[in-house]
Amino acid sequence: MEFGPQIIFEIPIFGGIPITDTVVNTWIIMIALTIFAIVSTRVMKKVPTGKQNVVEALVEVINNLTSQTMGEDKKYFSSYIGALFLFITVSNVLGLVGLRPPTADVNTTFALAALTFLMIHFFGAKSKGVGGYLKGFMEPFPFMLPLNIISELATPVSLSFRLFGNIVGGLIIMALAYGGLLSVSEAVGLEFFPIFQAGIPVALHLYFDIFAGVLQSFIFIMLTMVFVSVAMD
Amino acid sequence: MENANFITVFLDWLMTFETSALVAAATAIGVGLAMIAGIGPGIGQGIAAGKGAEAVSYNRKSGKQATMVMLLGAAVAETSGILSLVVALIMLFANPLIGMEGTAIVMVASAIGAGLSMIAGIGAGIGQGIAAGKGAEMVGKRPKHQSAIIRTMFLGQAVAQTTGIYAMIIALLLLFANPLL
Repeated sequence: MEFGPQIIFEIPIFGGIPITDTVVNTWIIMIALTIFAIVSTRVMKKVPTGKQNVVEALVEVINNLTSQTMGEDKKYFSSYIGALFLFITVSNVLGLVGLRPPTADVNTTFALAALTFLMIHFFGAKSKGVGGYLKGFMEPFPFMLPLNIISELATPVSLSFRLFGNIVGGLIIMALAYGGLLSVSEAVGLEFFPIFQAGIPVALHLYFDIFAGVLQSFIFIMLTMVFVSVAMD
Repeated sequence: MENANFITVFLDWLMTFETSALVAAATAIGVGLAMIAGIGPGIGQGIAAGKGAEAVSYNRKSGKQATMVMLLGAAVAETSGILSLVVALIMLFANPLIGMEGTAIVMVASAIGAGLSMIAGIGAGIGQGIAAGKGAEMVGKRPKHQSAIIRTMFLGQAVAQTTGIYAMIIALLLLFANPLL
């Protein structure tokens, strides 16, 4: 059985750039989110109705979460945090429509964690000044410098593998469950119509796609906000 | 041969098997070892359940909320068990070591080591369970602060998972990108 991302096609330049289903599904999510943003904000009204209500509620929830977690003075991060949350959540629940979640590829999650890592250090240096930022590595004692550097480097690793491990774990268990249900269907002579694959995996989808998916994206944005705001204070 | 060390005899005996058979046998041991991590979520969820029951007994009115927090926390505490299950299933159904060319003893040790490393999940499971229990207890006492308590609980549980994640990285490295082979 093969659980890794599959190569869909190759771009025939520079000796062929392989395009995996991770990339294609990321494009699908990008298009879907862009269309969602355009459609829901095209006709803005003073008193919101219909879909504008939904979007305003979403924006308000993310604004409140950001200002509560990072402090009122760092509310301007909410646009990035909101985009991150929408992208990761939609990626994680993509298994519901039978596509491979882009977050089940360590390249995606590590790229997102690298963004967080850069934000931690850029905004840390910006708000404390480069000198104060570098001095932070010598706290509480100068000989702690190597340990501090290691723990800073461990942040993106644990952040990316937490998301990746949870999503790819769900993906593998779902694939095996569907395979098992297919063989049960074959055992009763229904290989052309795998009846057992209908209905039974709902509980697994509920836990692995919806609960774990939304929880992990929430944890990712919460940790990003906490790390960045701690680095800035 | 009579005076030979027991370990030497054992290793010689091992070398009489084919490489693929040895790796398959080691995989079987490794899969079993990986699932030992289930101890952690078991203890942790038990603690959470106990604390949840306590919270309900103190304050019946907030019983539903305390139960919900207990279930959410216990579901997160299950993560290390799931990660172990994933590594065990990968080793059973998609083991890259089977059919690979290399030194038999290193491949055998890698398969066992991948399973062994997942035992680290015990710590994460117990820790997350304690967090879930405390969360349920405090939601039972102060149901008004439920959302703040759940947020802090999830955040702490995510950090408590870190060592378990490291264990999984090492297990996957041993299986898929082993530098020792």
